[in-house]
Amino acid sequence: MKLYSDLEYLKLSKGQKFLYNLRCFFAAIPRWFAKIGIAIGRFFKNLFLGIGRELKDIAMTFVHGDWKTKISYVVMGFGNIARGQILRGLLFLAFEAVFIFYMVTTGVNWLSKLPTLGTVGPHEEYDEILDAYTKVYGDDSFKILLYGVLTIFFIIAFIYTWRMNIKQNQTAEKILATGKPLKSGKDDLRSLVDDSFHKTLLALPLTGILIFTVMPIVFMILVAFTNYDGAHNGFSNNLFTWVGLENFKQLLSFSDGNKVYTAAFGEILTWTLIWAFFATFTNYFLGMFVAMMINKKGIKIKKFWRTVLVLTIAIPQFISLLYVSKMFAQNGIVNGFLKDLGWIKDPLPFWTDPTWARFTVIIVNIWIGIPYLMLIATGILMNIPADLYESAKIDGASGFQQYAHITLPYMLFVTGPYLLTSFTGNMNNFNVIYLLTGGGPDKAWASAAGGSPGQTDLLITWLFKVTTGAESKYYQASVIGIMVFVVMALITVVVYGLLPSNKNEEDFQ
Amino acid sequence: MASVKLTNVKKVYDNKVVAVHDFNLDIADKEFIVFVGPSGCGKSTTLRMIAGLEDISGGTVEIDGVVVNDLQPRDRDIAMVFQNYALYPHMTVYDNIAFSLRLRKMPEDEIYKRVTNAAEILGITDYLLRKPRALSGGQRQRVAIGRAMVRNAKVFLMDEPLSNLDAKLRNQMRAEIILLRKRLDTTFIYVTHDQTEAMTLGDRIVIMKDGYIMQVGTPTEVFERPANLFVAEFIGAPKMNTFKAELVKENGKYFVKAFGAKLPADGENGSLLAEKGVGSREVILGARPEHITLADGPAENAIETNLIVNEMMGSEVHLHVRTKDGTDLIVRVPTIQLSKEQRANLYSGATLYITFEDKVMYFFDPESQKNILFG
Amino acid sequence: MADLKKLSEKTPENELKKHIGLKASRTIGNTLIYILLIIMTVIWLTPFVCIVLQSFRCESTYIVGYVIPQQWGLDNYKALFQTDFPIWYRNTLITALCVSVLQTVIVLCMSYTLSRFRFKLRKPLMKFMLVLGLFPGMLTMIILYRVLKDLGLTQANAVPGLILVYIASSGMGYYISKGFFDTLPKSLDEAARIDGATRAQVLTKIILPLAKPIVIYTILTAFMGPFGDFVFARYISMNTSKGMNVAVGLWSWLTPDQVQYKYTMFCAGGVLVAIPVTILFLCLQKYYVEGVTGGAVKG
Repeated sequence: MKLYSDLEYLKLSKGQKFLYNLRCFFAAIPRWFAKIGIAIGRFFKNLFLGIGRELKDIAMTFVHGDWKTKISYVVMGFGNIARGQILRGLLFLAFEAVFIFYMVTTGVNWLSKLPTLGTVGPHEEYDEILDAYTKVYGDDSFKILLYGVLTIFFIIAFIYTWRMNIKQNQTAEKILATGKPLKSGKDDLRSLVDDSFHKTLLALPLTGILIFTVMPIVFMILVAFTNYDGAHNGFSNNLFTWVGLENFKQLLSFSDGNKVYTAAFGEILTWTLIWAFFATFTNYFLGMFVAMMINKKGIKIKKFWRTVLVLTIAIPQFISLLYVSKMFAQNGIVNGFLKDLGWIKDPLPFWTDPTWARFTVIIVNIWIGIPYLMLIATGILMNIPADLYESAKIDGASGFQQYAHITLPYMLFVTGPYLLTSFTGNMNNFNVIYLLTGGGPDKAWASAAGGSPGQTDLLITWLFKVTTGAESKYYQASVIGIMVFVVMALITVVVYGLLPSNKNEEDFQ
Repeated sequence: MASVKLTNVKKVYDNKVVAVHDFNLDIADKEFIVFVGPSGCGKSTTLRMIAGLEDISGGTVEIDGVVVNDLQPRDRDIAMVFQNYALYPHMTVYDNIAFSLRLRKMPEDEIYKRVTNAAEILGITDYLLRKPRALSGGQRQRVAIGRAMVRNAKVFLMDEPLSNLDAKLRNQMRAEIILLRKRLDTTFIYVTHDQTEAMTLGDRIVIMKDGYIMQVGTPTEVFERPANLFVAEFIGAPKMNTFKAELVKENGKYFVKAFGAKLPADGENGSLLAEKGVGSREVILGARPEHITLADGPAENAIETNLIVNEMMGSEVHLHVRTKDGTDLIVRVPTIQLSKEQRANLYSGATLYITFEDKVMYFFDPESQKNILFG
Repeated sequence: MADLKKLSEKTPENELKKHIGLKASRTIGNTLIYILLIIMTVIWLTPFVCIVLQSFRCESTYIVGYVIPQQWGLDNYKALFQTDFPIWYRNTLITALCVSVLQTVIVLCMSYTLSRFRFKLRKPLMKFMLVLGLFPGMLTMIILYRVLKDLGLTQANAVPGLILVYIASSGMGYYISKGFFDTLPKSLDEAARIDGATRAQVLTKIILPLAKPIVIYTILTAFMGPFGDFVFARYISMNTSKGMNVAVGLWSWLTPDQVQYKYTMFCAGGVLVAIPVTILFLCLQKYYVEGVTGGAVKG
């Protein structure tokens, strides 16, 4: 295609410019994919090269190292101790001891059972003392999976530590060769509040995240490939085991047996996206509008208006949401009020009609959300340099033109990432939906889909229902969770690619 | 291409602070006027009142004979360059320059012509598709000027347009503004705190302090005949030396007694003093650094001083000296006038003898601070 | 130039009119805004006024279509103390206090480090946490519940379990305070380092005193979190009344079989929960606003 120079491009009419940009955009797509492909290729290349380099380095260190280093290959920390770094050496040694002890006593056991998730289920066994058959529990699939994952984490950590131990020997030899002293244990401790202070600070938070977020997520991803549910709880009734991609097949195949499941998923996903869209943008624009009203010159008692709105943030959401939910109930205040006015005879079906319910949820969410956006917009509006408006005034912009050409673009630029997080946050807005409607009204045809989702259920509330119902289909919850992740990741990647504020983050600074 | 007339213009802020008192000025068509003064003197406020960005508390502003007090900025047909450029960050350079024309519904091909023409003049053609962020300070400045240029406005306002540039670029842009002014041939009102800019750019200079006009005049006028002490000290660099002295009239001849020396004040000043009929009195004497010369040694009328700091500026040397009674003076000497030994003797603590050139002494009233000769 | 000519012809006659027109339109605009704001105020306050009024209603305990009680009294409040409400309140308060302290420490450690230190794994770590954040947190509840149950930290013992769950992953919420730390000039750190401070001293002596707004913001949000959280608390307390927090407890009064008897008590309980939290929030509103706006702008 023909490429224009700047001046030629500027000469084009608006329509032509648009077409030209569109063509450029599509022309760039193959390159985009190529770039991704190259990046992935490079990643693997670097990975293998890296591993190769590490292995070579390990081998070379062994060949060239002195006897202290060589012994360290088996007895971790020996080199450190032999060279006077007692503290480090002891830590290495202790870690190795713990690891070996753990692996021998339990680790190997869990690992060996991981492929099957247990073979001996609960069964009846003859008890000689009682002279009766009693229930005996066998393996616990849940624990096998959990400790299996933990053991793998542990092994990875051990390999990393072992490698570090070797590297330390190598550097120690180098330093000693130059005649300088090694760092003492005291130095090491001091560096924990100085040069390596970040390690100290991060230790606790990252451990928490590792144990309470990463590990459970890995576990739950694995659950998606098992049949873990209420009927197979892995211990007291039946063991659960690996089922491969079966759960995903169920969701994504349109076979007769799973039609309801697939359709329910599709419908809930659609509603989730619609909800997230409206919840985000109604709040965004109305919040901005309110902020501009309050901030307008000449409006008095600004603080009062703000404080009134902020009340919805201050009061715990469960109170306001539950209460509002009851206000709109069939026999609630709103219907009562409208009846007293004589406007209606029958109560309005705020929560009983699917369309009404969806609409009401969005409206109530505006009530909840405007104050946040009002605060955010106020902060940003105050940050817009006054001279931009002055310049626009002199250039001849009317009030509305100033809004359209300066305020709005500025807001969108600055809040681009916020809009994204707000969108994904709304997709997972459990509280508003669950406390207002509980997911209802019922969606009768979908009750076979597990967790009996309702008309206003989001993926996240459905997920919750799936795990709490009598069936407790954990594997299904896990599949839904993974799908939520996939959808959110897709949106994030696409939006980040398009986001102007991401490309030009300093435009407004 | 319009005259601007300010009559009794006043600015009072809500908190009763008076920013501008009773400002009267006639700006002729195609004149380049510079408002200069220290920060907080009301020069920017005055400019913004002309632009319509500040309400006018009293008096009238006329552009081309029309009172514009109640007109919106967009109806005043003015263009303005801001100190921080105020470029729209989300628009390309082209869109920035074209913005005002588009708001006026000008046909796109006419816009194209004007924008590319302006860009060429300013040398920013290559950057038309860039965003302001991707430009250097000087380029941004050009875009801001270009944005004002394409308007063909009646009055061109500039609010400290060069103060965000480094010294070298500032000199260059100053020269370009002079060229631009020739090309546009319209009325310019320029605000700056830098007296050099004011002197080099302005047809006339308005020197302001605390909301009052101190003096209005051509650069030569304000330099050679400052109306008061403030103007005298503000214009010229390094700043004028001023100190208490006694003017003595003896036998029809004038002398100045300062630092224990008695200097003749004859020549032009002497006759002017006589014309005005000034008698013996206390004065504040002003002497520009370039009008003090180094004497070779102790002599009649030479004042003994100690050198404190010696600033070598290249083509000239600024000598900070202190007299016996503790008054600090600055002496400016062209480097080529110094012999080798003299230069070697310019160490701190060295004793230097200075004399004043009598022709270019200024006399100010200690009370009113007005120039006794021209005030 | 042509259009100023036109104006100059028109202006003298129209000047007065125009002037009044400008002022008048501004007044009309502002009046409209005031009307809108007053309507909004009414809408925003109605639910809160209603809940307070209904909490004093004595003639019936179920949902009714009117607001003003026919019989006023403190019956509902008295009745609250016959139930587990005080226990829920205590549970929530303990949780909130512990979480506000521990979570603040963790979040500050995390955000300060990610803002100030440049180490090899910084970027990968932040990306990794971004990805982690895309997983619905509720998913982890299934396993955490099992693990906590094995540890005996659920149901009646839900409070320590809940605290653990809240604080453990709180490092993920470093974003807003990192944004704040990013705005503190790095040269402060450098100056302190040159003056001989260790990294730890830089944090405690220089940065923390300057970070007061964000510290208060973090404490405030961490404190309010447990008051609003429903899903984790419900999961971990698992229908055991002694382990519930106020959200779960009061929610259980609104289930179809309970609502007829407990609705007005719910209102009373809600008022008792809301009052201290709201007062606290409004006192610290300034810091909250700073945190929210700063965080969003840094995005």
